[in-house]
Amino acid sequence: MKVWLALALILVGALALAVCAGHEWATPFDLVRAVAGDADIRSRLLVEWRMPRVLAAAFVGLLLGLGGAVFQGVFRNPLAEPYLLGSAGGAALGATIALLVPVGVPQSLLLPLLAFAGAWGATVFVIAVSRVAGAVDAAGMLLAGVAVAAMLGALRSFLMLALSDDTISLQVVLSWVLGGVQTPTWAVLGLLAIISGACFGLTMRLAGGLDVLGLGESMATGFGLEVKRFVAWAVLAGSVVVAAAVAFGGLVAFVGLAAPHIARWFVGPMHRPLLPASALVGACIVTIADAIARAALPPAEIPLGLITAVAGGPFFILLLAHRLRT
Amino acid sequence: MTVLSADGLFLRRGGANLLAGISLSLGPNGSVAVVGPNGAGKSMLLKVLAGLLPPTTGQVRIGDQDLLRLSGADRARQIGYLPQYFEPHWDLTIADLVRLGAERAGSVTKTALEEIMARFELATLQGRRWSTLSGGERARVLLAMVLAVDPPALLADEPAASLDIRHRIDVVRSLVRRGTDRLCVVVMHDLDLAFRFFERIVVMDRGYIVAAGHAQDIFDDVCLDAAFGVKFERLKAGRYSLLRPACL
Repeated sequence: MKVWLALALILVGALALAVCAGHEWATPFDLVRAVAGDADIRSRLLVEWRMPRVLAAAFVGLLLGLGGAVFQGVFRNPLAEPYLLGSAGGAALGATIALLVPVGVPQSLLLPLLAFAGAWGATVFVIAVSRVAGAVDAAGMLLAGVAVAAMLGALRSFLMLALSDDTISLQVVLSWVLGGVQTPTWAVLGLLAIISGACFGLTMRLAGGLDVLGLGESMATGFGLEVKRFVAWAVLAGSVVVAAAVAFGGLVAFVGLAAPHIARWFVGPMHRPLLPASALVGACIVTIADAIARAALPPAEIPLGLITAVAGGPFFILLLAHRLRT
Repeated sequence: MTVLSADGLFLRRGGANLLAGISLSLGPNGSVAVVGPNGAGKSMLLKVLAGLLPPTTGQVRIGDQDLLRLSGADRARQIGYLPQYFEPHWDLTIADLVRLGAERAGSVTKTALEEIMARFELATLQGRRWSTLSGGERARVLLAMVLAVDPPALLADEPAASLDIRHRIDVVRSLVRRGTDRLCVVVMHDLDLAFRFFERIVVMDRGYIVAAGHAQDIFDDVCLDAAFGVKFERLKAGRYSLLRPACL
């Protein structure tokens, strides 16, 4: 119980700090006044602009934390990353098409939709490839994912070269690929909250199976788990979660890797407590990283993905070194 | 009454018959040791009997039901499978591991879990993590995980192979004891322990069952020598029987 209280308090603290942080810092007093309904323009900006963005960042982090815990559970590998299976490559391809091909649909709607479709499509393709190759297991899907991700990356680069012109800047595409949360309307934020809740419910249904799968495939089958079917469903569910995160936050690296690790320090490796803990940790990380993105070099904004990569890269190397030593 | 039966089991991989027409009938109780040289198909037979591998042709029945038609959960309640090698990917506590074993029969209350831990003398280990256990403790935990739901049939693939002799005997004894009112089928490499403790012996060679019957009958059967490619000397002293390769 103390652990959950600590995690919740850390998240509340991170949210408050992130709302205060920005080009112009607000004090906690400003924050209280704004929430109480103060009509001053600074207060309105805090409520109408900064709070939705901070909450959106928290939801994106929550989704990445959930996705990371699911993928590490499915592949039984603490170094697994949600983007391994090509879902990020698919999402990036979808977003590139949305940004570069004018189709007469508002980009704010088209981009998340195509990013989502791309992520899902790439994952389904990976499962199909591993099935055709006769290796519908974790290792087979991982290898298929690496191959599909490479192909999608090449296709995206080609589209960027072929379709960009003077009117459509590559910088727009690049800034999305580098990750970043846009300020949503309250309606879009509500949609993101609903999606996050649904993803949380979906992944929690996998918790028991992920625990049994962690005993190894023979033991899991002996304990009644239909391993191949479960792995395929869990990968699909994990990809849905990651696709939702990518659709609203671009490619934010390493959060899906780091959040489950940090959560394991708090609650251990069983997935029923791990999934919500990883979601909370992911929310904290992206909330703080987004605050740094906004406040570090005003008035410019650093891409969120750069911050998480700069912090996450060394974390990954430390993990790898620790794993190799042990 | 039969608990577990196999009819015409073939398992083909890469053009080779790993199981070549196995038929047998086991249960409802008794301790059965499956012996044979490396590559005889013992582990494959156990996996097919446990429903972990579907046979290429043939059928396994548990009671009067086709094993492959049962849901995974139903199968897991009726057959316990103890693998040759077990290493969980996450360093779980003993209480968590035993709970996972028990939950395949439905949710488990804290009291029920404590009863299982007490039954397998694991109460003092419940907060420990798997990585901190000795080989003997791990064998006890593994048994508790698999037997937590008390399945009518237990299939064990050399569960004591990596243990020292005292712990190996402890594990074999507990498996054989279970055979008094349940079916217990164990793949064994140690022929002396197999003939010393088990009621029935099944001898396999190159995917076939070459002999099956009571331990005393199989002990004198020369098919044992042919299967292992070794001439055995049969040494008997009272109720103890030992097989010694004649070349030693």
